[in-house]
Amino acid sequence: MAKKGWDEFEIGAMLRSFDGKIDDIAGTRQEDRDYSENSSYTASVADWRLIKPVFNKDYCIDCQFCWVYCPDVSIISRDKKMIGIDMDHCKGCGICVEVCPTNPKSLLMFPEQEEEEAAIASWPAKNEEK
Amino acid sequence: MSEMKKIKNLKEFSTSADRFEGANLLCPGCAHSIIVREVLNATNDDLVLSASTGCLEVCTAVYPYTSWDASWIHIGFENGSTAVAGAEAMYKALKTKGRLKQPDRNPKFVSFAGDGASYDIGFQWISGCMERGHNMMHIVLDNEVYANTGGQRSSSTPIGASATTSPAGRISYGEKRNKKDMVSIMASHHIPYSAQVSPNKWKDMVKKIQHGFAVDGPVFINAASPCTTEWKFDPKDTMTIADLATDSLVFPLYEIIDGRELNITYRPKNIVPVEDYLAAQGRFKHLFKDQYKYLIKEWQERIDDNWAYLQRREEAKV
Amino acid sequence: MAFDKMELKDIEVWDGNFAAAQALRQCQIDVVAAYPITPSTPIVEGYAKFLSDNYIEGEFVMVESEHAAMSGCIGAAAAGGRVATATSSQGFALMVETLYQASGMRLPIVLNVVNRALASPLNVNGDHSDMYLGRDSGWIQIDAYCPQDAYDLNFIAFKVSEDHDIRLPAMVHQDGFMTSHTAQGVHTLSDDVAYNFVGNYKPMNDMLDFEHPVTHGVQTEEDWHFEHKARQHNDLMTKVLPKIQEAFDDFEKLSGRKYNIVEEYDTKDADVCVVCLGSSVETAREVALEMRAKGIKAGVVGIRVIRPFPFEQVRDALKDIKSIAALDRSSPNGAAGMLFNEIAGALFNTDTKALLSGYVYGLGGRDLTKAHLVDLFKELQANVDAGKVTTPLQQFIGVRGPKLSYL
Repeated sequence: MAKKGWDEFEIGAMLRSFDGKIDDIAGTRQEDRDYSENSSYTASVADWRLIKPVFNKDYCIDCQFCWVYCPDVSIISRDKKMIGIDMDHCKGCGICVEVCPTNPKSLLMFPEQEEEEAAIASWPAKNEEK
Repeated sequence: MSEMKKIKNLKEFSTSADRFEGANLLCPGCAHSIIVREVLNATNDDLVLSASTGCLEVCTAVYPYTSWDASWIHIGFENGSTAVAGAEAMYKALKTKGRLKQPDRNPKFVSFAGDGASYDIGFQWISGCMERGHNMMHIVLDNEVYANTGGQRSSSTPIGASATTSPAGRISYGEKRNKKDMVSIMASHHIPYSAQVSPNKWKDMVKKIQHGFAVDGPVFINAASPCTTEWKFDPKDTMTIADLATDSLVFPLYEIIDGRELNITYRPKNIVPVEDYLAAQGRFKHLFKDQYKYLIKEWQERIDDNWAYLQRREEAKV
Repeated sequence: MAFDKMELKDIEVWDGNFAAAQALRQCQIDVVAAYPITPSTPIVEGYAKFLSDNYIEGEFVMVESEHAAMSGCIGAAAAGGRVATATSSQGFALMVETLYQASGMRLPIVLNVVNRALASPLNVNGDHSDMYLGRDSGWIQIDAYCPQDAYDLNFIAFKVSEDHDIRLPAMVHQDGFMTSHTAQGVHTLSDDVAYNFVGNYKPMNDMLDFEHPVTHGVQTEEDWHFEHKARQHNDLMTKVLPKIQEAFDDFEKLSGRKYNIVEEYDTKDADVCVVCLGSSVETAREVALEMRAKGIKAGVVGIRVIRPFPFEQVRDALKDIKSIAALDRSSPNGAAGMLFNEIAGALFNTDTKALLSGYVYGLGGRDLTKAHLVDLFKELQANVDAGKVTTPLQQFIGVRGPKLSYL
């Protein structure tokens, strides 16, 4: 939102989450919602990250621990399957990696600049000690 | 009465469409938003929410952005509970008068506040809301410190924690007083339901939140919210710390029905020593110096004693 | 509607509190969140009793403090319905934080303020300390001089406050005890006529509209805060007074009772004039008439709308006056007095040659007697005769001990 003048916004510093009417928010997925420019969904905190999670679906068992414990609504799960990470909203905290129960983990942290392909190529093997 | 959302397992839970958005300004690894997500996703009903001044509020509604996909209000530090109580009163009035725009909805009224805004400055407001019988839920995001203002002690800060206004030093081990038992105080308002929850035990949380939404009357929830910034641990470890909190019984999970009947809702298979919980956090680092090690022993005794007390209460059903 | 209407006589004998309570009943308030404090308590007790007797439908939330009362009103107003409460003095002071929040969030709430002194020392009687404390809070402030005004001005307050062009909370002031507890004849409106004047509540940005979720009470820092405050000030400065005038005009057509943003009594040919607020206006009018019989051309100006301050109307009312007294019923504690300052601000840079002097009176319920006003008018006349202010610019009236005067 451009920095508008004093006469160009709603009174009371009121904000609306959506443009227009929304019938059933809890029944509407993010991709089907008409977010307003004032929803933080339209913003990005990608530049907060120094390290990023990379998802390797080969090992994922869709347990959804990463989904439930992600503080930033950044684990994208659809139809009970983990399908990816929302890199606009991920702050790189690494909780998803910590709670991932697979061996090897299906999520690992890499430097922000690391290419995904290279990250996947360097994925560790199963840890036999566990 | 609306139908309770069916959440048999985590896979089913993960089909929820979140009503809390990312790109909020909470710290990486903040437990507040994990708790908020678990609470909001526990129901499909409409929500009227408030946040008292604090981390959650200043990080999720900074103009021109909001992270809330539900009706939401913030007034001040002390009065978020009463804001929701006022909205709930208006809902009742308009329902009586037949003026609701969507009369078929069953909105849930929830106020979120930190421990500072609940145990301290907002104590009276919450007590009022609980006593008056509003159909609302107050949830404390209990990180045991004034995190938003930079780490001052609150009446939820536990003994031995170093906070900026009760700092550990050459002759001080930090906070001198034990944490206030807010769940008991609120249960003593004879409210239908009060409980302690922790985000790592998501199923216990969801069950309690759903129970709270189902009962008629005020509900008080105290939620453990490990604070990466003020408890001084790595952001990735938030759930590890929460596990240590619940499994050491520093943060026991229980509920109190009608201000009387206490049920323990989680019994760790392997109880972890309190020392492990303390050792994982920078705020207790000084306790491991020789001069203060006796406090760790006292901590364990206090936690054991509290666990025994909770079990006695559970058995006695009083 | 499931509640009963009340048959009122054309003229009822009501004190200011009961008149205000009746107005709240007739406006069919949806939520009252309130806390008792003398002398305003009977207003909300009245609402509670009407509710108990089925003369109204709504929710009465008896909270645990005035801060919570206004907090509950804010939540209720943001939810989307008609909201009112009442308070005085210390309760008002406790509310102050939330007053700014209510106005900043642009929520229409009507607060009946039964004016009372502020401690310390503790005092339950009327002065304007609480009214003055609220004057920068971004609320509309309208002043009743008698029970009739207290009744009528509540209707005006709802009509203006809830207007979608305005959306600002409004206070209706009346003097503690002198107005609130003094029964007088009050001309009534029938329930239907009164309600139709105010109209149905029209929600805006309401939290109970689940198809349009709304975020209220955001944080703004240096990049946005100034613009929001500027917007609120602009609307107070440019929109409120025309809307109040419109409501006064409509109300006159309905009731025959005429209110003005600034009330003028015999000012057209006056040489000397007293400007004051509250029940003192009526006392001053009576004395002014007596002074005229003695050859002093005396007039009185009552400020009906305190915020937004009616600079133009005050300027017009006082433009030909030769000597003006500003009467402030609140200790300025180290300054000249609100009315003195605002009047000076209104007249400065105009062609007026008026002499302005200030008087502080009536603190903690001390009577302003007719004798005080006779002396005061004589002083003003002496100023006119001398062509300059012959007294100190600030004098205390009615206080024991050596004469107090400054400036």
